[in-house]
Amino acid sequence: MELFVGVINYLVFFAITAGTYGILALGLNLQWGLTGLFNIGIAGFYALGAYASALVCGPLPSAWDSRVFGGFGMPFPVGLLAAAVVCGVVALLIGIPTLRLKADYLGIATIGIAETIRLVLKNESWLTNGVWGLQQIPSPLYDPIHKGVGALLRGHADWPSWAHDLTSQAYNWFYLILVLCALLSLYFIMQRLTSSPWGRVARAIREDESAAAMCGKNTFSFRLQSLVLGAMMMGIGGSLYAHYARFVSPSSFEPLYGTFLIWVMLVLGGSGSNKGAIWGSFVVWGIWAGTDFLTRYFPVTATQAASLRIIVVAVLLELVLVWRPQGLFRRGPSH
Amino acid sequence: MDALSRIPQLLVYGVISGSILALGGIGVSLTYSILGFSNFAHGDIMALGAYLALGLLALFTGLGLSNTPFGPLSFGFSFTLSFALALGLTALAAVLIDRILYKRLRHATSVILMIASIGVALGLRNVLQFCWGPQPQYYIEKIQLAIAVPGLGVRIKPDEVFIILVAVIVVTFVHYFLRHTKMGKAMRAAADNMALARVSGINTERVILWTWVIGGALAATAGILAGIENKFITPELGWQMLLSVFAAVILGGLGNPYGAILGGIVIGVSEEVSTAFIPTGYKPAVAFVIMILMLLIKPTGLLGRRR
Amino acid sequence: MSLLKVEDVTGGYGDMEVLHEVSLELHSEEVVTVIGPNGAGKSTLMKMIFGLLKPTTGDVFFAGEKITGLSPDRIVRRGMAYVPQVENVFPSLTVQENLEMGAFILADDFSQRTEEVYELFPILKGRRKQRVGKMSGGERQMVAMGRALMLDPHLLLLDEPSAALAPNLAALVFDRITAINRTGVAILIVEQNAKESLKLSSRGYVLASGRNRFEDTGEHLLANKDIGELYLGA
Repeated sequence: MELFVGVINYLVFFAITAGTYGILALGLNLQWGLTGLFNIGIAGFYALGAYASALVCGPLPSAWDSRVFGGFGMPFPVGLLAAAVVCGVVALLIGIPTLRLKADYLGIATIGIAETIRLVLKNESWLTNGVWGLQQIPSPLYDPIHKGVGALLRGHADWPSWAHDLTSQAYNWFYLILVLCALLSLYFIMQRLTSSPWGRVARAIREDESAAAMCGKNTFSFRLQSLVLGAMMMGIGGSLYAHYARFVSPSSFEPLYGTFLIWVMLVLGGSGSNKGAIWGSFVVWGIWAGTDFLTRYFPVTATQAASLRIIVVAVLLELVLVWRPQGLFRRGPSH
Repeated sequence: MDALSRIPQLLVYGVISGSILALGGIGVSLTYSILGFSNFAHGDIMALGAYLALGLLALFTGLGLSNTPFGPLSFGFSFTLSFALALGLTALAAVLIDRILYKRLRHATSVILMIASIGVALGLRNVLQFCWGPQPQYYIEKIQLAIAVPGLGVRIKPDEVFIILVAVIVVTFVHYFLRHTKMGKAMRAAADNMALARVSGINTERVILWTWVIGGALAATAGILAGIENKFITPELGWQMLLSVFAAVILGGLGNPYGAILGGIVIGVSEEVSTAFIPTGYKPAVAFVIMILMLLIKPTGLLGRRR
Repeated sequence: MSLLKVEDVTGGYGDMEVLHEVSLELHSEEVVTVIGPNGAGKSTLMKMIFGLLKPTTGDVFFAGEKITGLSPDRIVRRGMAYVPQVENVFPSLTVQENLEMGAFILADDFSQRTEEVYELFPILKGRRKQRVGKMSGGERQMVAMGRALMLDPHLLLLDEPSAALAPNLAALVFDRITAINRTGVAILIVEQNAKESLKLSSRGYVLASGRNRFEDTGEHLLANKDIGELYLGA
């Protein structure tokens, strides 16, 4: 029973992370799957959203911090909003000069943007606390839930230990519900968007931009809207991450987690499909977590295990690209 | 005016790092013009070359081959041998990667190829990290002293002169190859128009093979020279240089090998000189800003591009 | 025996069927023109003959051997050469280098052949080192044809050789085509500019909506008033 509870608790933690990545994958699906924008700078928006939310909701700078900015102590929804707004604005500013570029160039430009964001987060200590990151990011309803759970457990000291283990994780359950609500809401919004006239135009632009332009559509405006909306979703994902992890630093947003894994998730799930984006994120995160367990049994060091896991995901990506480029969960022809 | 007085020395550093970027950029341009996509794994192939040289050096040292430095340089025979062999091995690796992966994607869109190359990049990087670990590795332990260049008020190390010389020699080779050999001309033809090349009877798969051989060898050279310049290498070497290499290529004109050379020098010099005015932490951003400006003003680059 | 025989070829691009049971025949040293309105499938037919497209049904025979479905580089080695309508030169290479690329598969010295090709296109003689991208449309068309002739083919396929050329340059191109034919090369031409092309052809085919419509000698097709109205545009 203990083991079972342990597994359940792990699955909750797993699902929170997979769900957060699912939101990022949905954002990428809007940008790439629907509109054909080659964004390799996901990590940048993810980081921006996390930092924006953390600075807006977090505590004032302490005596040890090098930063002087932030700490407005706002409630969680404000942080979420701030994350979305900051990402949207930055996407707008970036998009205006770069969205006219061809795919190759846009891809390189987005890497550069993500790198620049990371450099700013690392160097501008007055704003972000530099490499030391932001600590003590408040989780929503953390205190009330913990107090309630504590009281419940004290009142029922006779419960078996597995029940204790299960109940003490109640906050994670709450957070999981929060993430799943966000994920499903965004999923439904994306579904409506995809099947709407707006979505049809976006898809037409992806297939053949000059043809769409000749029909009188302002292709640049559509692509910009897509970039901005997708970035806002990624910002929301970042905020959800920050308030769960309760700590962010520039190294939390390595291009690997923030960008590469999301691409593998979308390619595996099926680019162009919202369902595929979500399935893909759970499957790939499952493989990622699974390899974590497996490599514990190999005679390798921790860093070597980490390298092995990345190699596994990279090989997986190549296998999908060669043998099933339309993805696993998508019906119909590939892009 | 302390900043201005540092500029001549920074120019020297810029030419050195620019030469390395140029070597990396030629490979990227060749791949782009003939295979049709920007190879995001190129940086990690540079790192592969650097690590293969490291491994070979360890092997030869273990076998007892001497590495007594040639003259004022900091390395000797066994390193030179390792350098040469590493070029060949890296070229082979590049061809193998093409045979296993890119060949199956010949008819895919350039975006799919780019995504595939990102996978190769991460895979390669982590193979290197698996084998050698993330900590810095050194070719040579000793620190070399820079010599003052008479009359110019700058200092340069003998190893750095070696770097520039190697870059010049390699570029000359590539130029000669492209201009005067049958395969070189076929590569230029394929870069112009792959379909027509096929129609003319040119064996385009052989052209592609040579593209990877030359690209791989150039990348390895750049990686090893970077290792000599920076004194140490890490698995992140490739990714760190990738943005600057791409900036150089775009600046010169994507698909134009000569543009890559010009772009490399300009980016190298700009990055180094910028440290006189802005914090060193932002050096990579300089390349990026120049690239964006180029894309906004003249996307085809200074010397124009192919395709 | 015919040099080229196309038998009931059907097919197109993917699911789209462009040609329906098209047939055609060409003999050694003949000049044959295929004319027809835009979208008739003329270029598609030529691509199928040269192996750039595979027909769904039907066959192509060259010098008595079946070549249906062979790839272009195999067909080139059998003595057929193809000049596409657009993008038919290597612009950043010189005239000389373009010709060299035409002879890529030759292992031996081909300088004599190169001189023979320059004889056919004297205009190019003084421009060997010039980059083709900087040349005029008419000159580029000569380089394109020269490149194709380097392997001394038995049959030359020309896809709309006079397209986008001013009338005087087009006349020059047709004059060269006659000269090429006189050296013993059979030529299959696909053309919009039907009049000029039919003048130098022994026979012609009219293709419309992917099907054979007419076949006759060049003279008769030119004289035929119905065809003139329907298909012989300026």
